[in-house]
Amino acid sequence: MIRNLLCMTAPVREGFDIPCHEIGPKAQQPAVALVGGLHGDEINGIFILSRLADFLNNVEAGTYPELRLARGVLIIPAVNVLGVNLRTRTWPFDKTDINRMFPGSTIGETTQRIAYAVMEATKHAEFRIDIHTASTDFEEIPQVRLYGPSDEERHSSRLFGLPAIMERSLSPVFTTTMMYSWKVWPGQSFVLRVGQAGTVQLEHCQRVFRSLVVFLGRTGILEGVEIAVEDEEVCYFDKESAFRVYAEKAGTFVSDRAVGRWVRTGQELGYIYDSFSGNVIEKVVSPVAGLLTGIRRHPLLFERDLIVRVNRKG
Amino acid sequence: MGKAEKTVETVFTLEMPYCERLKIQRTVFQGGDGPRVAVTSGIHGDELEGLYVCHLLAAWLDALIAANPEALQGQVLLYPALNPLGLDTLTRGVPVFDVDLNRSFPGKPGGDLPLRLASAIMSSLADASFVVDIHASNIYLREIPQVRISREFSDTLVPLANGLNLDLIWLHGAATVLETTIAHSLNATGIPCLVVEMGVGMRVTPEYCAQLVNGILHSWRDLGVIAPDLPLPELTHKPLIADDSNVHFLNAQTSGMFVPTTAHWTDVRRGELLGTIISPFDGSILSEVRSPVDGILFTLREYPLVYEGSLMARVMARKGGHP
Repeated sequence: MIRNLLCMTAPVREGFDIPCHEIGPKAQQPAVALVGGLHGDEINGIFILSRLADFLNNVEAGTYPELRLARGVLIIPAVNVLGVNLRTRTWPFDKTDINRMFPGSTIGETTQRIAYAVMEATKHAEFRIDIHTASTDFEEIPQVRLYGPSDEERHSSRLFGLPAIMERSLSPVFTTTMMYSWKVWPGQSFVLRVGQAGTVQLEHCQRVFRSLVVFLGRTGILEGVEIAVEDEEVCYFDKESAFRVYAEKAGTFVSDRAVGRWVRTGQELGYIYDSFSGNVIEKVVSPVAGLLTGIRRHPLLFERDLIVRVNRKG
Repeated sequence: MGKAEKTVETVFTLEMPYCERLKIQRTVFQGGDGPRVAVTSGIHGDELEGLYVCHLLAAWLDALIAANPEALQGQVLLYPALNPLGLDTLTRGVPVFDVDLNRSFPGKPGGDLPLRLASAIMSSLADASFVVDIHASNIYLREIPQVRISREFSDTLVPLANGLNLDLIWLHGAATVLETTIAHSLNATGIPCLVVEMGVGMRVTPEYCAQLVNGILHSWRDLGVIAPDLPLPELTHKPLIADDSNVHFLNAQTSGMFVPTTAHWTDVRRGELLGTIISPFDGSILSEVRSPVDGILFTLREYPLVYEGSLMARVMARKGGHP
């Protein structure tokens, strides 16, 4: 079923809606709430969630007779509807970040009203999942991000079977994010970070789609899921395991490395060229042996920009 | 006491990708060994009032050190443009990084550029004894000259704000998001910092700027930055006090075009029409905006188009007003 979370008017256009999918057994609250597109340019998450909705709607329609949804699922593929259409991260009218407007309000600014509607729809779910990408400049390995997690969240984060789990502390910068607001309510909250903004990265999307189906299977929300675990290696990384390489000099960074590969100490990861003369000015190498969890994708570097992150196995 | 002098210093610099450098600069007026004070502005690239205030202060200090150098007993640091790339390109945040610099404090020496900028700015202000951080609202709203103070620091800051020749002191409850501003970061490290909001984005309001300059000079004289016997024009403005109990927000009931019918910074009566939201497509009035109280219209929308929820005005109730 499709429901509109919020119907909004616009100054000179027709009004617009923020629609969501409600799939599975009707209950007062969904067992799991999945949210994407708080930022309008984070298309991986929007694609993953729209495909997941299609899959679960097919489960409900009996296309996969071995599968059954035991509990309700709420999916909002994109919150920042106008941002998706105009390809902007923020709310296009006043350039505010919807993910800095939580917990929202019914009487405040437009983006606060949007945030409030999303909170009301999702806050009572047992599991809440917010899907993001990095910026358009950087690519992240598909990962679970935990912010100041509970022991239950640490345990459940492994149920996704994604290659990396990254734990971070809760900083004041996050106070007005959806994740922070969710944490006030009983239940478990996860951020998935998948690839980079501005594009669909099919391999990452397929991997995260599978991980969400596996998560629904392991939590009993989707019954009948067969889970192959042979090739699944999940690494839990704390802050201390991360080694970052910053650009010593500004220039143009070029690399053909893929995230999610294990690298050796000193292994070549790319080169920085002088953008004017074309000279090679730096060979970028891995500082440690570990998993390449993030890499710069926009070639133009300011001095001291982050180029790569390698996480050492604990 | 040595001779007073003016220098321009680079606080932060780095290479950009192609044949340019990014620099944050400050102008330093070095007088005696008295207190060191600073004025910061341009942290948002669309706010220009503070740049003009820095110009007026620099002109005043130029004249002072030419005519009476001993009267500069301390040091003055002027930072007109904390976000130079944003100012030069009419971008509120830090271009390329698309981040609000005033949500990046206190920053850190490594990490994304905005965090490094914030960290360098904080280090450069480490020995200041008083900072005024000037903002110009945004491009949507016009504000009367005011100081905004977090209650957490009100004991220290309200006495300083009282002498700044502005019209309003607005005391805010603790809002954790503001912990990442330059003002909160300075106040948290024991350096008093007043946040001034006045005017509107992308514009300069010369009379507000002149009013603030006089207040800043008085505060410097009180602190001993300039000689106590230096004559200054009388202060002409005394602030009203606003807090969460007497400020009323008027948010748009519907989307459309907001056309004010009342001038900014006037006394309004409860029920008085402040403006209308109209439809550009027909002759209809979609919504009437009326004052909820007797009070002062201290915020008024400058940019006419509104979405549902857009702020159009704030009215501050006078004492004894009945909401």
